[in-house]
Parts: sequence; C-alpha cells; structure tokens
Amino acid sequence: MAPPDHERFERLVLPHLDDAYALAHYLLRDEHDAQDVVHDAVLRALRYFESYRDGDARAWLLSIVRNCCYTWRGRREVVGQGHTHGDVTLADLSDTVAADHHAIQSSDRDLVRRAIDMLPHEFREVIVLRELQELSYKEISTITGVPAGTVMSRLARARKRLAVALGLPVSEEG
Amino acid sequence: MQCADCRGLLHAYLDGELMPDEREAVRQHLATCASCAAEYETLVALSRQLKTKLERPTAPDTLKARIRADLERAESTAAHPPFQTMAEPPAGRTPRRSWLGLVAAGLVIAALSSAVTATLVHRNALRASIADQVLSSHIRSLLPGRLTDVASNDLHNVKPWFNGRIDFSPSVPRLDSAGFPLLGGRLDYAGGQPVAVVVYRHQQHVINVFSWPAETRSVSPTVVRTDHGYHLIHWSDATGDFWAVSDLNLAQLHQFVALFARAESEGEPR
Repeated sequence: MAPPDHERFERLVLPHLDDAYALAHYLLRDEHDAQDVVHDAVLRALRYFESYRDGDARAWLLSIVRNCCYTWRGRREVVGQGHTHGDVTLADLSDTVAADHHAIQSSDRDLVRRAIDMLPHEFREVIVLRELQELSYKEISTITGVPAGTVMSRLARARKRLAVALGLPVSEEG
Repeated sequence: MQCADCRGLLHAYLDGELMPDEREAVRQHLATCASCAAEYETLVALSRQLKTKLERPTAPDTLKARIRADLERAESTAAHPPFQTMAEPPAGRTPRRSWLGLVAAGLVIAALSSAVTATLVHRNALRASIADQVLSSHIRSLLPGRLTDVASNDLHNVKPWFNGRIDFSPSVPRLDSAGFPLLGGRLDYAGGQPVAVVVYRHQQHVINVFSWPAETRSVSPTVVRTDHGYHLIHWSDATGDFWAVSDLNLAQLHQFVALFARAESEGEPR
C-alpha cells in the first residue's frame, strides 16, 4: 500500500485552512464547532487524498468541509432549521436584531453579519463562496454539487434578501 | 435586449461569468434602461457592502497546530515503513527524525537486511529484527516530548485513548502499588504495523511495553537482548504479543513483567 503523500498534501491543501475555516464559521455560526469540523475535514481529506487527482485543491477541500458541516448540523440538529425553507423578511430580521442585546448599538458590520446568518444555508453558502472567497460559478458548483445555473439563481435570490435586509432599493419584479 | 433577459443575466454580468457577446449586450442595455441600471446599482452596492463589511475569519493558530500535529503523527505512525524513515528522512522534515537516523545508525543495516529477507528467515531472526525496532523506538521515546501521546496515571484515560487509533485494545494493568506507576500511552511503529505502547515508571527508569495482536503461540518471558544497558523481554499469550524494554536492572524488569503478565491475564480492572 502506497503511503499517503504527506508532502504533497501539506503543500496543496494546508494553504487553504483559512478559507476552510471561514466557510465552516459561516455555515455553522459557531467558532468552536467550526474548528472541530475543519479539523475533522482535514483528516478526512488526508484519508481520501488518493482520490484527489489534479485540479483545484481549494475547491476540493471546501467541498469536504461543506459536507462535514452538514453532517455536523444534521447530527446536532443545529439551530436554523426553522429558517431553512421559510422566507426571511425585513420585519423578521428587525425583530431578531432588536431582540438581541448585542445588537442594540449594532454597527453596519453587525447588521451585515446578522443578515448573512439569517439566510437559509443553501443561500448563505453561495454568498460566502462568491462574495467572500470570490470563487467562480463553476467552482461553487463543484463544491456544492448543484449545476452552475442553480448557483446563479440561488445567488440572485440570496442577494435580493440581503438587499432588502440592508435597506437597499429593490425592484418588485427582480 | 429586453429587460427580462437583462435581469436574467445581471448577476452573471456582475460576477464576470458572461461570454464577451452577452457581456456587451448587457452593457448596452444598461446604458439605455434606467430601471435595469438602478437594479444593477443595487447589486453593486450590495456586493461592495459585503466585501467591505463581511468579516473574514481566519483559522486560529491553535487549530493549525492541532492539524499539523495530527499530520505528523499520521505520517510517523502509518505512512512510512520504519526503515525508510530511519535511513532516509524526507527533506524539510523536523530535525528529530534525522537525529533518529543517527541514533539508530548502528541498527539500520541489521534491520534492513532482516527486512529484506524477513519472509525467508525463521522466527528467531524475525524476533531479532523486531527487537532492533523496539529498542530504537524506546531510545527515541526518551527524547523530550516523545514519551507519551496520552499522559495519564489513570488507565481509564489511557486505554480508551487507543480506541479508533489502532484495531487492538492493549492491556493496561494497574501496577502502582508494586512501585510501577502508569505514565501514559502512545502509538508507535514496529514489526511493520502501528503498535500500542503503554508506559510505566520505576523510580527514575522508564519502561515501555509494546503490544500488538498475538501472532505466535504462547511464549514465556524471554530476555531477547541486552544492549547498551537496555534489556528487552518478550512474551506472548492469548491476548497479545508483548515487549518490555527498559534500562531498569534485569531482576526488576523480570519482576515487572511477571506482575504485568499476571495482572493482565487475571483481567485486572481494564
């Protein structure tokens, strides 16, 4: 049995730990959970490194991180299920923000973070992958396992919700 | 281009995902349609807000350190045949493996020749080869920070630590009352496989007990090697193959082995 190529693994995969952590952080909304899941995901990646051929090591790692996040959420039945399929309106968001004592003097930054956190996870992940990590539709499609057209339509819907939540002008028909 | 078509392409336009001709068509439409242009302005403003106000969490150093430690452990326990590791430390590795190469230099040639012919030689030669590996592992374990992966005097911490790390549950008898307190356990590599090592102490002397699933018939405790002040005792029974190694004097090591083997076969609290 050939030993896993550790040197190659460290060179290709480890530089993307920050991106892996950022994705887990947004998907799980908890820094400790994010650390555990990224740790687990990297060890899984090492175990399955033989299945990685060539191509985008970052997208490959992020897809493993994403799967680990959802496995983790499924196991822990993490908060957010109630929002997964429901529409988040500006009123919902305002109620939540007002109810949160951290948000009494919430800055714009907090408001953006709250708006992201309120998105259903399938919208949140495309926003993080596109706006924060600046990945292409094709890369996001690889990571999330949905067609590029679906990536685009999710991005469009996610952006509309965020624009509403942040008080930007939004046309009715968009 | 109609407004509906433009709206359908607006996100891809923003994200730089359009082919040149589509991109040009959208650009021309935006130049002439105030409604679509306003929609696009909203998207641009949103994207700018997200890029500037979205925090970018970075992996904490503690997480990176944990991952690196796990990778090193995986590399040293499962990945490489021991001879390769000793004779040819990979470039850019931490110095301690090349140090190991120096320490074990005298043993490498014998070990290598044993490995090459391992399938041909009889059991005593195989045992000598394992003795070499166990002894060099023991010496390596005395380097700073190498003795235990799990440091605990409590067998209820040490024994479960091996779960999932090795497909074998090592014996961890409690021998404190006889003057052999438990120090902990670690994974090591010997005989071509990852093995469990349980570590005890007697006064200032460290005792490493290597074990793995029994492959041979029962063997009563035998002194296989005395080398540079280290003694190696091998025995095996239904529960496993065992090697105890220490610089303890031979009589005391014999006493330890007798206590260990008896406690283990009597099923002392696991």
